[in-house]
Formats: sequence, structure tokens, C-alpha cells
Amino acid sequence: MIEQLSGLSSATDGIMKSVSETRYVTTPNGIDGVGGVEQVSFTDTLANVSQEAVDRIKAGEAASIAGVDGQASVQQVVEAVMAAESSLQTAIAIRDKVVTAYQEISRMTI
Amino acid sequence: MSDPLSATMHIASSGLQAQSERLRVVSENLANARSTGDAAGSDPYSRKTITFESEFDRAQAASLVKVKDIGTDNAPFLVEYEPGHPAADENGYVKMPNVNVLLELADMRETNRSYEANLKVMTQAREMVMRHIGLLRD
Repeated sequence: MIEQLSGLSSATDGIMKSVSETRYVTTPNGIDGVGGVEQVSFTDTLANVSQEAVDRIKAGEAASIAGVDGQASVQQVVEAVMAAESSLQTAIAIRDKVVTAYQEISRMTI
Repeated sequence: MSDPLSATMHIASSGLQAQSERLRVVSENLANARSTGDAAGSDPYSRKTITFESEFDRAQAASLVKVKDIGTDNAPFLVEYEPGHPAADENGYVKMPNVNVLLELADMRETNRSYEANLKVMTQAREMVMRHIGLLRD
């Protein structure tokens, strides 16, 4: 599960790069030139979010194993697994949105 | 600034843990309701009490609940006339634990209600988070 999820960040990375390349060709003085504000790329943000999700899921799995061993209480296990679940759901929703956006762009008539 | 909904989950989780600790104490009292001493005139099991306190969690900026102390009840022991008992004194009286089973059962019910309430908070928070994620989906 975790390998697939970390695959998400690299996959979206590729999509974002190709999309931003297309934009870069059409507008040579792209958005990067506007304003002196420090720019955080969307790809980086997405990678951070998915990394966070991966960490949460890892914590959830560690808590489950500790629970099976009898090291953690039921409440701790449930809390960690629920946090992992909501992170995974968020990651899936974001992935779906990104894929949809990519498809929209690829369907565009030129 | 942490996410209020995940903080809610954390607080409810601490409540659940505190209540399960309380149930443990109740079960100890119930199980030992007839535990006497082994030598003549010795003290029997004395009832355990549990107290809670609030603890400020800096990471979540919220007050969690935790067990403050597990103490013993100082109420006098009950005395029963049972000359054949190994713990009977020279007059034939045995000291019995100061556990009132009815009181413990009432305490157990209250623990159950409190646990349910905390669980309900958790369910609600989870539902709110999931609905929000659903918003992103379609």
C-alpha cells in the first residue's frame, strides 16, 4: 500500500512537469517572473502532502502491530488507524483531481 | 495551529483511555469484593478509587484528560461474624473489604455512559472530516 502511495507523488511529479513545460513554451516570461515572493511549486506542495500521508499510514500500521502485540491500547490503535484512513482518502481524492485535470488538458483541442 | 478536528479526535481518545482505566479499577473492586486477609485479624482488600485531572497538550493546544491518581478508600471495613474463617480474630469476627457492590455497579454504568459520549464525539469528528474529503471528490 505504501509503495503505491509513494508512487503517487512521483507520478504526479511527471504530470506536473509536463504540464508546466507546455505552459512554459507558450508563455516564455511565465508566472515565475511576476513578483518577488518566494515561490513554492505546486509539485513540491503535492509531494509534501503525499509524504505526510505516507508517514501517517506508516504510523497507523506501526500502531496496529503494537496493538496486536498488546503494547498499545485499543483507543490508540483506532486513533492512529483513523488518522491514516483520512490521510489516504485525502490522497486518493487529490490524485483523482490531478488525473482529471491532466485528462482535461490532454483533451484540449489545439 | 493544529487541525481542530484532529485535536477533537485526540481529546476524545484521551477520554476513552481515562474511562477504560476507570473501568479497570471498578473491575478490581468488584473482583475483590470478598477478598479477606490471610492471617487472624489482618486487613482485607481495601477499595480503590480513581481521580482524573486535565492536562494541557501544547502540540494540540487543548486540554486532555488523564488519570491523576489511583488511591485507596479510607472507609472502615465491614465486620462479619464467621468463627471458622482463617482470618477471624479471637472473637470470631472477620474484616470484609469496604466495597459496596451496588456502588461499583453504578460507577460502572457511569463509566459506560461517559465512554459512549466520547465515542460519539469521535464518530462525529470522523464523519465531518470524511464529508469534507467527499467534497473534494465530486
